[in-house]
Amino acid sequence: MKKSFFLFSSVFLLVCLTSELSPAKVYIDIRSPSFRKFPIVISPFKTTLATTEDLKLGERATEILSSDLSISGFFALLEPRMLAGNLARAVPEGTSSETGPRLMGATFETIDFRSWANIGAEALVLGEVVYKDRSLTLEARLYDVVKKEMIVGKRYIGDITDLSRMIHRFADEIIFALTGEQGFFQTKIVFVSKTTGNKEIHLMDFDGRNVTQITRHQSICLSPRFSPDGTKIAFTSYKAGNPDLYIKDLRTSEERLVSQYSGLNISPAWSPDGQRLALTLSKDGNPEIYTVNADGTGLLRLTHHPAIDVSPAWSPDGKKITFVSNRGGNPQIYIMDPHGENIQRLTFEGTYNTHPAWSPRGDRIAYDALLGGNHNICTIRPDGSDLRILTANLNRCETPSWSPDGRHLVFSSTRDGGPHIFLMDAEGTRIKRLTFHKGGDTYPNWSPRFKE
Amino acid sequence: MIKKSSIWWAVLISVIAIVFVATGCAKKQVVKEEVAAKPVVEAKKEVPKPEPPKVAPPPPKVEAKVEPKVEPKPEPKVEAVPAPPPPPPPPPEPKKEAVPPVAPKPEVLDLANLRIHFAFDDYNLSSKAKENLEKVASWMSRNPAFKIQIEGHACEIGTNEYNLALGERRANSAKKYLEALGVTPARISTISYGEERPLDPGHTEESRSKNRRDEFIQSK
Repeated sequence: MKKSFFLFSSVFLLVCLTSELSPAKVYIDIRSPSFRKFPIVISPFKTTLATTEDLKLGERATEILSSDLSISGFFALLEPRMLAGNLARAVPEGTSSETGPRLMGATFETIDFRSWANIGAEALVLGEVVYKDRSLTLEARLYDVVKKEMIVGKRYIGDITDLSRMIHRFADEIIFALTGEQGFFQTKIVFVSKTTGNKEIHLMDFDGRNVTQITRHQSICLSPRFSPDGTKIAFTSYKAGNPDLYIKDLRTSEERLVSQYSGLNISPAWSPDGQRLALTLSKDGNPEIYTVNADGTGLLRLTHHPAIDVSPAWSPDGKKITFVSNRGGNPQIYIMDPHGENIQRLTFEGTYNTHPAWSPRGDRIAYDALLGGNHNICTIRPDGSDLRILTANLNRCETPSWSPDGRHLVFSSTRDGGPHIFLMDAEGTRIKRLTFHKGGDTYPNWSPRFKE
Repeated sequence: MIKKSSIWWAVLISVIAIVFVATGCAKKQVVKEEVAAKPVVEAKKEVPKPEPPKVAPPPPKVEAKVEPKVEPKPEPKVEAVPAPPPPPPPPPEPKKEAVPPVAPKPEVLDLANLRIHFAFDDYNLSSKAKENLEKVASWMSRNPAFKIQIEGHACEIGTNEYNLALGERRANSAKKYLEALGVTPARISTISYGEERPLDPGHTEESRSKNRRDEFIQSK
């Protein structure tokens, strides 16, 4: 309840310790197909508590930051304990006996860069968390160990509950400082959870933390999709007895009925400009793809085929719509223009391919495929070539959704029983389970980066 | 607490002020951190507000009442003992009248037992399905006031959106067949639940084949 959704910078008074906004040097060339994982070390965050209560804030901060950097896939995270061993065995000459660098009030001259360099680190993160007078202050700095200089430093002030957000924010700073690209650590994932007994829309941080319930329809809610600006969620609900389409504004909590034709009003997909929704209606007797303005006006029918047409998804440039049709005898992925012309079939492998999702970079389409006896997440190029099967031995994997940088996917999998949300990178490696609710979690949809 | 809430009020007021200023001026020039604060306050204010209890529970899962056809059983037995006294028993008289004309009383049909099943990723009617639909159609023609809703369902295989479409097609297949048998379209409504309401919650092929189905529910 307390956790409202758009807390962005609520009480954050951010102090830029460095004025440089664009990175002077690209440390990690992530566009290179075989970039080297960048060796970084996070010194455990220090905690100063005004109260006697041990909140383990430093430990939590360190853990969340390590998790973020690890998920990014750009880093080789070094173990800071290696440093202590290093120091014990051979104290580098010319260093002080100071074992851990202090941060707040400390000048970087006191940081023993040489010891960190000796364990192989090229970058170092130092941080400190202070909770005082009901206010949480987090200060964190990223250092170039080789050049012995600070790359970026930030101080965040907020509420005790803001710790993970502060860390995600700093993690984004690290990514930007080292790669020159935007991170996604402040993004969210919307999904359907049956943890209350009914399927309701829920929201969580991209790493599975801070789950909040969005709908209380006590019915069946399905197919949540973030608007391109991240402020709204379109979804289907049986609240009024029929699968109708709603849009929920996350800032005001206002919920609006968009489409309630008789029959299906399902599978919403926002156009990249956020003006229109592609969706499936069966009002004319058969499930067909339509587009409609976000306020429900301006209905336009795109498909005219006696077979099933469902699950549209726009290309990031808005010039194509991919969708599922069984016009060839079983469900396959197709592509068409935004007015329904030039329909082409993309998938020919397997007899059951559904739920296409266009990567934000536009170069690939992910979908789920019944291949090898089970449902797996696959990707193809938008011309249908270069099929890659990303999952294996994860039981039934469905409904892929891309991260805003196109380097990761979330999906549901029954690997551990009732479906849960999983995260992996776009090569199908480093799989991480995100949700642990009873009742099952499905339909993940990754938010865009939120505009500030 | 007081301190905290007063801070919140301060933030709220300042944000509102900023929003007014921001909207009054050019939208683009706002400082990013302050702008970001705007949604926060609104969210803090709005989110806890419990949603109006628009709880319209979905149509109840109607397992059509399994009432055996009301046939008074004592009667035949009484007749089966023909030996004793010839005086025709007066009590059976009225009941006998009630039994033969089935029409006037609402005829109960075990619709749950007439549910029809489909093959995987298929919405064509099997001969067994057609047989059941013929029973439904004749029941409806004998009871012209009756209406039904056909629920289309799918098994857990495949994504729900496709399964919703598949369930819709399954319901429509049954509807079209009933219409062909003379039932007026206005008496038949359809709804698809996709894989949301399995008959059998199991994950075996046996369970799934039970779940690929149409249910018939008497509606008003």
